[in-house]
Amino acid sequence: MCKRLISSVLICAALSGVAQINTLDEFVVTSRRPLKDIGLTKTVLGSAALKDNIASSLADVLAFNSPIFVKNSGRATLSTVAFRGTGPGHTQVTWNGMRINNPMMGMTDFSTIPSYFVDAASLLHGAGSVTETGGGLGGLVRLGTIPDAAPGFNAQYIQGIGSFCTFDEFLRLTYADDHWVSSTRAVYSSSPNEFSYINHDKKENIYDDNHNIIGQYHPKEKNRSGSFKDFQLLQEVYYNTGHGDRIGLNAWYINSNRELPVTTTDYGNQNAFDNRQREQTVRAVASWGHFRNTWRTSTKAGYMYTHMAYDYKRETAPGIWAHMTHSRSRINTAYVQADGEYNPTEKWYFTANASVHRQWVHSVDRTVTTTDGDKAGVGYDRSRTEVSASASAKWQPTPRFGLSAVLREDIYGGKYSPIIPALFVDGILCQRYNIVARASISRNYRFPTLNDLYFLPGGNPDLKNESGFTYDAGLSGIIARAGTYSLDAGVTWFDSYIDNWIIWLPTTKGFFSPRNIKKVHSYGIEGKVNLGLKPAKDWFINVHGTYSWTPSVNSGKAMSAADMSIGKQLPYVPRHSATLTGRLSWRTWSFMYQWCYYSKRYTMSSNEDAPGGSLPTYFISNASLGKTISLRPLDLQLKLNVNNLFDRDYQTVLSHPMPGINLEFFVGITPHW
Amino acid sequence: MFNFSKLLKVTAAVLAMTPCVSSCSDDDGPKINVEATGDGIFVVNSGNFGYGNASLSYYNPETKMVTNNVFQTANGQKLGDVAQSMKIHNGKGWVVVNNSHVIFAIDPVTYKELGRITDFTSPRNIHFVSDTKAYVTQLWDNRIVVINPSKYEVTGYITVPDMTMENGSTEQMVQIGKYVYCNCWSYNNRIIKIDTTNDKIVGELKVGIQPACLVADKNNKLWTLCDGGYEGSPYGYEAPSLYQIDPEKLTVMRRLEMTKGTSVSSLLTNSQRDELYWCGGDVWRMNISDTTLPATSFIAADNRWFNAMSIDPVRGDVYVADALDFTQTGVVYRYNKSGAKVDEFRVGIIPAGFCWK
Repeated sequence: MCKRLISSVLICAALSGVAQINTLDEFVVTSRRPLKDIGLTKTVLGSAALKDNIASSLADVLAFNSPIFVKNSGRATLSTVAFRGTGPGHTQVTWNGMRINNPMMGMTDFSTIPSYFVDAASLLHGAGSVTETGGGLGGLVRLGTIPDAAPGFNAQYIQGIGSFCTFDEFLRLTYADDHWVSSTRAVYSSSPNEFSYINHDKKENIYDDNHNIIGQYHPKEKNRSGSFKDFQLLQEVYYNTGHGDRIGLNAWYINSNRELPVTTTDYGNQNAFDNRQREQTVRAVASWGHFRNTWRTSTKAGYMYTHMAYDYKRETAPGIWAHMTHSRSRINTAYVQADGEYNPTEKWYFTANASVHRQWVHSVDRTVTTTDGDKAGVGYDRSRTEVSASASAKWQPTPRFGLSAVLREDIYGGKYSPIIPALFVDGILCQRYNIVARASISRNYRFPTLNDLYFLPGGNPDLKNESGFTYDAGLSGIIARAGTYSLDAGVTWFDSYIDNWIIWLPTTKGFFSPRNIKKVHSYGIEGKVNLGLKPAKDWFINVHGTYSWTPSVNSGKAMSAADMSIGKQLPYVPRHSATLTGRLSWRTWSFMYQWCYYSKRYTMSSNEDAPGGSLPTYFISNASLGKTISLRPLDLQLKLNVNNLFDRDYQTVLSHPMPGINLEFFVGITPHW
Repeated sequence: MFNFSKLLKVTAAVLAMTPCVSSCSDDDGPKINVEATGDGIFVVNSGNFGYGNASLSYYNPETKMVTNNVFQTANGQKLGDVAQSMKIHNGKGWVVVNNSHVIFAIDPVTYKELGRITDFTSPRNIHFVSDTKAYVTQLWDNRIVVINPSKYEVTGYITVPDMTMENGSTEQMVQIGKYVYCNCWSYNNRIIKIDTTNDKIVGELKVGIQPACLVADKNNKLWTLCDGGYEGSPYGYEAPSLYQIDPEKLTVMRRLEMTKGTSVSSLLTNSQRDELYWCGGDVWRMNISDTTLPATSFIAADNRWFNAMSIDPVRGDVYVADALDFTQTGVVYRYNKSGAKVDEFRVGIIPAGFCWK
């Protein structure tokens, strides 16, 4: 007999922003795993993780709550990830089912995704990504919003004021009745971001009257060219017929204006340069879900538009600015997707899925004067249709054993990938502690991006697909006592191979060009533990930790006898990483302490311990203290976040400083209508 | 039974320990005294764009000893982002660091900084007209910067006509008499002639697409190597060509066309200036009087990718650099005049230029 619910135990103090300091999620322990998730290695980023710091981007959330390494150079800078030792383009990202990886570059900038806009986030490690889409050789980050809101009209406004003149504003308006749910979220963040640091990469000279250097010192400098002004708006409307149909519309608008920070070795006059990237993006998805007892269909149609402008200007005379780079890109994406699920019995579950993305890219990197004296843009104008379709069957013959198989086919621009198969299996080894063993295996392929193929100069239309093969196996278990404590832990071994890794290399003509050269073997262990305690009345404690050991090794052929990169760890992939978050709440008070660790990251493919050949290990701690004050007309939420609590001097990208200790104070208002 | 007070104690202990590991910080260490021995060669390693990991290496051909990262070791600071070139003039080494917008003057024996000049857009190469005047070419700027090296200051600009900032590119400079000739490379096709007495451009010559290098032979004739652009370029795409130019008349004397699609760079002369060397996959060599391109190469690449070259002005040895995958330390191979390998040594990331002491 299916034991659907064994126990409900109080686990997570979901500190939702500053608004719901004492709201508790119920963590449900089931002996029957969802058929949908058979064999998947999945990390769910709970609402507490998403809302620990309301001003966080997804980059911060991943850095402090998952084994993924995030590479960036401070707030509001390009934030890319290494998932299971792979490159930034090997992590697929979906938002409400729609792939949002940049079709030009293949990767996702996680700094542009505010955690405030995400209600549900999960990581599908390795083979698990095949259940959603192709190309996720490292894995997939699945983001979504939840069509739910408290009945009636509700509002919440939060203002954050932080170090370096940082201002964050958040507004959420919701309305819900029996049929309709409407949610409007807006975020505006701005900062000159001029944090101070001691620049150990430079020295200031002290001269005598004859211009002889008589002394030198490391200057205290400010982060230069790091300002940002980001506005984002998310509108969602859902209509539920009450008879198994739901229609939804999600629209997400981004208007971002960011400077690109200079290196610690830049001697240029800051006021004479303007190095800036502006982005306007609209993502809209309309969906129709049709639910019945044993089957479900879902149809989605979406449109995405991105306009990226990159300008690098120099002031050549007072008030006169000349463009050195004037780069413009427009990306239009139309998208349709259909999903079907059929659950004829408790033992069987079938799914089918097909999606079509049509990409149009117009990119002009610079304008040149031709030999005829005309003006011409250097860039490309291309379109591509990307089709991905899959079918899966999941079978759970007994409550203790499950098996799942997925077949996927990707067609990009008329080129077919080989069939992408994935197989998943799991089983309960010990029912008492819910110890589950799971394993998965898959092949996967990633098509070159449009920039890889067509970027001018350098695009290489002869590139082959990157191909991956991965398998993993793991154990997880839970012990719990209802209403008192719960401890769950899991560990997974993974082993992945990627062939024909695409890498951009400089040419003697002064530009970069992509080539299929690398063969990479990454393997390792991922572990996680989650402890929930209710030690006394009104007290709740949650401790969550992750650890990852990720050798990611270049196993290709040496370019020549002098090539020392073979057998070495890939640059910017830490072998070890760990995170730990502790949350404590008592009545209307909450406290959070967060810690993350990354081992040494090599910056050279040869892993040499030369100066600048690696970035040292670092440990970063954040903390926050919050309090909710309930007044008659409104709730007032106060929260103080302290980032880089111990003022650690560190870098995640060579020659790019990170901020020292910094604070942000939030005041939230939730009126009672 | 759950012991809450014990848990609090353990938690407090863990938190208290964390600052101990967190506060450990790394520094770049003290300056170390090092010295360049003999008449050796500096290798300018550009490093990766945006990572500030450029470096300077020094190699002594007599002892075959190489010392890497000499600037940072001697000065306790990084060289910067994308070191481009180096020249020695009047007992000082001048290192042009492109994306750091700086030129450092160093003592070529102790490597210690003697001064610096800033306020460049994107400096590439420096040419000394006199002890008090030098020109600095730039990318993404239509101006050649005039500096006074004795005072470490910018004194003026030479604006190149019919060139915008966006496709601005002035590259290598050669002086014959009172005129400095300069190739305009990226999305350009000109050789310009500058009168050093008044810093004015007094003439220009159109050659092939993207003249990447410029040298003068023993007869004071100019040679430029045009890389031909790339496929799909709106500026055009053609076969790379070697041009011989009469600098007085500013006319093309000879054009030798290479195979279309070949990547070419690093045109040089030997010390007698009667032979030309360049990289085009392999290393090629020809006499300046030859009327056709050589049929066989001088040094075979053999799966290496030569991206910079220099010739020993005394011994005539050829030094070629292989940047490998551009994210590891590069290798410099040394060959004698007959093309036999004499030595090889590792330098910094992306060896891109050389300078004899």
